[in-house]
Amino acid sequence: MNEHYYSANTVKNRYSLRVYSLLLFIVVAMLVYLGYIFHLQITKGGEYKNRARQVSSRSIPIPAQRGEIFDRNHDTPMVINVDSFAVNMIPGELTNEQMDSVAQRLSTLLGMGKDDILAKVPAQYRNLYQPVEIKSGVDFDIITRIAEHIEDYPGVSWQGKPIRSYQDSNSSAHILGHVGGITTEELQVMYNQGYAINSVIGKSGIEKQYDQLLRGKDGRRYNVVDVYGRQVGSGKMREVPPENGKNLVLTIDRRIQKLAEQALGQRTGTALVMKPASGEILAMVSYPWYNPNDFYTDKAFQAYRGYALDEQHPFLNRTIQSSYAPASTFKVIMSTAALEEEAIDPQKEIVCRGYIWVGNRKFNCHEPKGHGPVNLSEALAESCNVYFYTLGLNYLGIDFIANYAKRFGYGEYTGIDLPGEVKGTVPTPIWKEQTYGSAWVGGDTVNTSIGQGYLSVTPVQMANMAAMVTNEGTVYKPHLLKKVEDPVSGQTIKTIEPEILRTSSIRKETFKTVQQNMRGVITDGTAEVVITTEAVKVAGKTGTGDVGLEESWDAWFVAYGPYDAPPEEQVVVVTMVEAANDWEWWAVRAANIIFQGIFADQNYDEAIESLNWGWLHNDRRE
Amino acid sequence: MIGENDGLLNRQRSGSIFEFDFLTFLSMLSLMCIGGLFIYSSGVNAEGQLISREYVLQIVWIATALILYFLLQLPHYNTMQKLSIQIYVALLLLLIVTLLFGRTVKGARSWLGLFGFGIQPSEFMKIGLIIALASFFQHRKNEIGSMGTFLLALSLTLLPMGLILLQPDMGTTLVYIPLFIVIGFIAGVNRRALLLLLLFVLFTVFFAVIPVWENYILQQEIRFLEIFRRSNLVFFTSATLGFVGLIAFLGYRFAKSRFFLYFGSTGLLLSLSLLSSYLFRVILKDYQIMRLIVFIKPEVDPQGSGWHIIQSLTAVGSGGFWGKGFLEGTQSHYQFLPEQSTDFIFSIIAEEWGFIGSFVILSLFAVILIRGLIISLHSGDDFGVLIGAGVVFMIFFHLVINIGMAIGIMPITGIPLFFLSYGGSSLWTATIGLALIQNIHLRRYKY
Repeated sequence: MNEHYYSANTVKNRYSLRVYSLLLFIVVAMLVYLGYIFHLQITKGGEYKNRARQVSSRSIPIPAQRGEIFDRNHDTPMVINVDSFAVNMIPGELTNEQMDSVAQRLSTLLGMGKDDILAKVPAQYRNLYQPVEIKSGVDFDIITRIAEHIEDYPGVSWQGKPIRSYQDSNSSAHILGHVGGITTEELQVMYNQGYAINSVIGKSGIEKQYDQLLRGKDGRRYNVVDVYGRQVGSGKMREVPPENGKNLVLTIDRRIQKLAEQALGQRTGTALVMKPASGEILAMVSYPWYNPNDFYTDKAFQAYRGYALDEQHPFLNRTIQSSYAPASTFKVIMSTAALEEEAIDPQKEIVCRGYIWVGNRKFNCHEPKGHGPVNLSEALAESCNVYFYTLGLNYLGIDFIANYAKRFGYGEYTGIDLPGEVKGTVPTPIWKEQTYGSAWVGGDTVNTSIGQGYLSVTPVQMANMAAMVTNEGTVYKPHLLKKVEDPVSGQTIKTIEPEILRTSSIRKETFKTVQQNMRGVITDGTAEVVITTEAVKVAGKTGTGDVGLEESWDAWFVAYGPYDAPPEEQVVVVTMVEAANDWEWWAVRAANIIFQGIFADQNYDEAIESLNWGWLHNDRRE
Repeated sequence: MIGENDGLLNRQRSGSIFEFDFLTFLSMLSLMCIGGLFIYSSGVNAEGQLISREYVLQIVWIATALILYFLLQLPHYNTMQKLSIQIYVALLLLLIVTLLFGRTVKGARSWLGLFGFGIQPSEFMKIGLIIALASFFQHRKNEIGSMGTFLLALSLTLLPMGLILLQPDMGTTLVYIPLFIVIGFIAGVNRRALLLLLLFVLFTVFFAVIPVWENYILQQEIRFLEIFRRSNLVFFTSATLGFVGLIAFLGYRFAKSRFFLYFGSTGLLLSLSLLSSYLFRVILKDYQIMRLIVFIKPEVDPQGSGWHIIQSLTAVGSGGFWGKGFLEGTQSHYQFLPEQSTDFIFSIIAEEWGFIGSFVILSLFAVILIRGLIISLHSGDDFGVLIGAGVVFMIFFHLVINIGMAIGIMPITGIPLFFLSYGGSSLWTATIGLALIQNIHLRRYKY
C-alpha cells in the first residue's frame, strides 16, 4: 500500500512541473482574455453601444403632410398632396453581382436604362449603407410590384414622397406658386427655421409666402432593423409623429378666377378682382402662366428651362411683379387732386384743339380733331389729354401730382401677401435728378399728368386706387389669405381681418364727385360702347398706355360696381392687356364680361351669351 | 464523511459519493444550462417569436450527455487504456465512413446521420486521439524521448487529421496538432522535436498567410514577398534553404559544433515550411485563408468574414457591465450576429449578460480547467495525467479560439465553445472528457 502511495507520488513529481506550467499558461491566458473582455465591455462599452444602436436603428423621417389650400368656397382644394414614391438603393447591402441583376430588374420596372441606374451608384458609393435615390415620382403600383418580390430586390427600399398636385391649375399658378427641394442658398438662410437638406420648400406664391404654416413639422420614426434591413421590433419602435401643415383658405373665388381667366383669354396681361371693403382678392389672373405640375414629372428640368427662357416670362405674376404706365387711368387721381385742392373750377372749360405746345414740344390728344371746350367731368369721360396736360402743367404742378399719386399708394408696396411685389414709380424732380441726373422739365409734368412718362404702377396698386375712390378715403391691404385651419379638426386657427393700409384726409365730397365722373366714363365716355352689361352699374376709367408701338397700346381698365351700392357690396375690377397683343380694346371687354359674370352669377359662356358676344365662343384660344 | 480526517497514508478508499468532484460537475452543469438558455435566446427573433427549436434538441443532448457522464463512471478509466487501439481504429473507420457516406453541411462532409441525429465523428476523434496518445506515451514510457516515439505519435495524430482535412473541415483539424504538442510535452517527448514541429506549423501558417495579408489587409505590394507568391521563386528559395540546411548538418557531423545543428535545423525548417505553405495555398482558396487573418482588420471585408467579427465585437462591446438582459440583445435578435447558437454563442451571452456574464463563463471554465489539471496530476498514473491534461487542454484550446473569435483576436474557424455551443457531438465530446476526469478523481491511488 505504501508502495502504491509512493508510486503515485513519483508520478505526481514526474509530471508536476509540466502540468503546473500548463496550468500557469492556462491561467495567464484566461486572465488576459478576461482583461480584454473587460476592455471591450467596460472601457470601450459606450462606443460599441453607440455602434449597436447605429447599426440596428435607422431613423426615417415621416414627412408631414403639407397643408391643403382652398378657395373661399372651401369645398374642393386647389392643391392636394398625391402619393408618390422614391425608390432608393442601399449599395452596401449588395454585392457587385447582385447590383447588376437588381439594376437589370429595376430598369424594366422603372423604365430607365440599366446603365442610368448604375450611374446613380458610382463606385465610391458601393460600400455605403445609406439609401441612394434611384428615381422619384414612382407610382404606388410599381412599389407594390417591388414589395411583392422584395427578395429579388436586395438593398432596394422606397419612401413616400408626396407631391403637390395643383388642381385645375392654369391661372392659379401665380397665386399658389409651387414647391421644390430647398437649395443650398435657401438652406443657409433658413437653417434655423427648421429646414433640412432635403426639405421641400415653397418657391413662389402662397406656397412660399405661407411656407411656415403649410409645411408642418416632419416626424421621425426610429426603426430598428435587422441585418436584412427589415423592420423589426415593431413593439419597441419609437415614433415622433409629424405635425401636419395647416390648411389655408384663400380669399380667391374659384368661379370668379375662372371667369376672369377666360375673360382675359390668351392675352398677355392681367385681370384682378378685389373687394374694396376688405382688400380681399377674389381673382388674380396673370397671363401667360405656367403649370407647376410640370415640375413633379420626369421632364421637370426641361419644363423649368422652357418656362424660364420663354420671352413672355410666364413666371412673372404681372398683377404685382410688373408695373406699367397707368396712362389715362391716372386722370382719376388728377381729378381728385384738382377737386380737393380746388386748383380749378370743375365747370371751367379748357379748349382742346387736339394738341398742345409745351416749350418746343407738341403733345397730342388721342382725338386728333380735338374735344373742343371740356370741363373736368367731360374731360375725364372723354379722357381728354389736353385738359389734363393743362391741369397738370398750369394748375397743379408736379409736386401736387406726385403727392396725390402717393396718397393713393402709388410708388409704395401694397403689402399683399405674395412674395416679389414691386412698387412702381412716382416720379418727382428729385427722383429724376437722382436717377437720371437730369432736371425735371415741363414736358415731364405733362407726361405725368396723363399717366405716362416715368410713372408706373402695378395692377394691384391700380385696384387700390379704385378702392380709395369707392371707399371714400380708405384702402384695405389687399390680401389672399382668409383663414388658417387645423388640418385635423378643421377648426379655424386664425381669421384674417381686413387691415387698413392707408386712410386719406381727402374730403368725401371730392370722392363723390370723382365717383360720378367715373360713372360718366361708362355712361357718356370712352367705355360707353364697350361696357354693355346690364347686370350692374359700373364706374371706371380706361387707359391706353403708349409704349412706342404704332398700332398697339397697353390697355387698362379700372372699374368698380355696383356704382350706387355701399362698398361692402362692390367689387373692383382691374384689367390690363399689354401692347404685345393685337389691339382690341380688350381690357374693357374683359372687364365687361367679368362684371356680367359676377353680378349675373354667370360663367364665361353664359356671360358672353347675355352680352350678345356669342362670337367670342370662337375666341377661346385655349 | 468518515475518514476525511484520516492520515495521508490512509487516503486509499473505495469510491463513495463524497469522493465525487462536485466542483467540476456543477461547473459543467452550469455551463450546460447557460448554453441551453442562450441557444433558446438565439432562436428568438426580433419579434420575440421562437424561430428555432434547437434548444429542445440541446436539452435532449444535455440529458443524454449527463447519462453518459454517469455511465462512464462505472468502468475504471484504465479500461480506456486497454481499449485505446479499438477506440482509435473504430473512430478512424467512422471518419472514413463519414468521408464516404456523410452528409455535407456548409461545404464539409463531416456529418454522419445516425437514427435521425447527426453526429460529427471528427469531434469524438479528439477524445479518441487523447486516449490513443496517452496510452501510447505510457506504453513507450521508457523510450519517451526517442525520435521514434515522436514520429509514431505524430503519425497517430496526422492520420485522423488527414481524414478530416479531406472532408474538408480545416477548423476542426486545427485542434489536433496543439493537442499532440501539449500531450507530448506533458508526457516528456523530445522537446526539440516538439519545438521544431511547433515552429514548422507556425511558419507554414505565417508564410501561407503573408501574401493574402499583403493583398487584402495591407493592400499594397511589397516586392520582397514575391518569394511567397511565385511558384518558381518558392521552389528556388526552398531548395536553397534546404541545401544550406543539409550542408550544415554535414558540417555538424564533422565539426560537432552546435552552431551547425541550429543553422541546419533552421534552414530545413524554413525550407519545409515554405514548401508546405505553398501547398497550403494551393489547397485552400484565398477567401479561406482570408478568414484566418481577417480579424486583424475586419474593416477590409465588411461584407464577408469581417462582417462576423464586426457584428460579434459590437455585440460583446455593447453588452457593457450588466448586459442588455436576457432576450434583450439587439445584435443577436435582429440577426446581425451570425451562427449565434454555435460559433458565436459567447457573443450573445456577453451581449445579454454583459461583463458579469463573461466573467461567470470564464470562471466556470477556469474551475473546470484548474480543477481538472489538479485532479489529473493527482491521478497517480501516467495515463491518468495524460488524458486529464489532454482533456483540459482540448477544452482550453476551444475556449481560446472560440472566445477569441468572438472578441476579435482569433481567426474565424468554426470551432465550438464546449458545453455552450449548440450541437450534440461537441457536447458529448466535452462531457466524455470531463467524465474521464471525474473517473480519474474517483479512482485516484487505486490500481
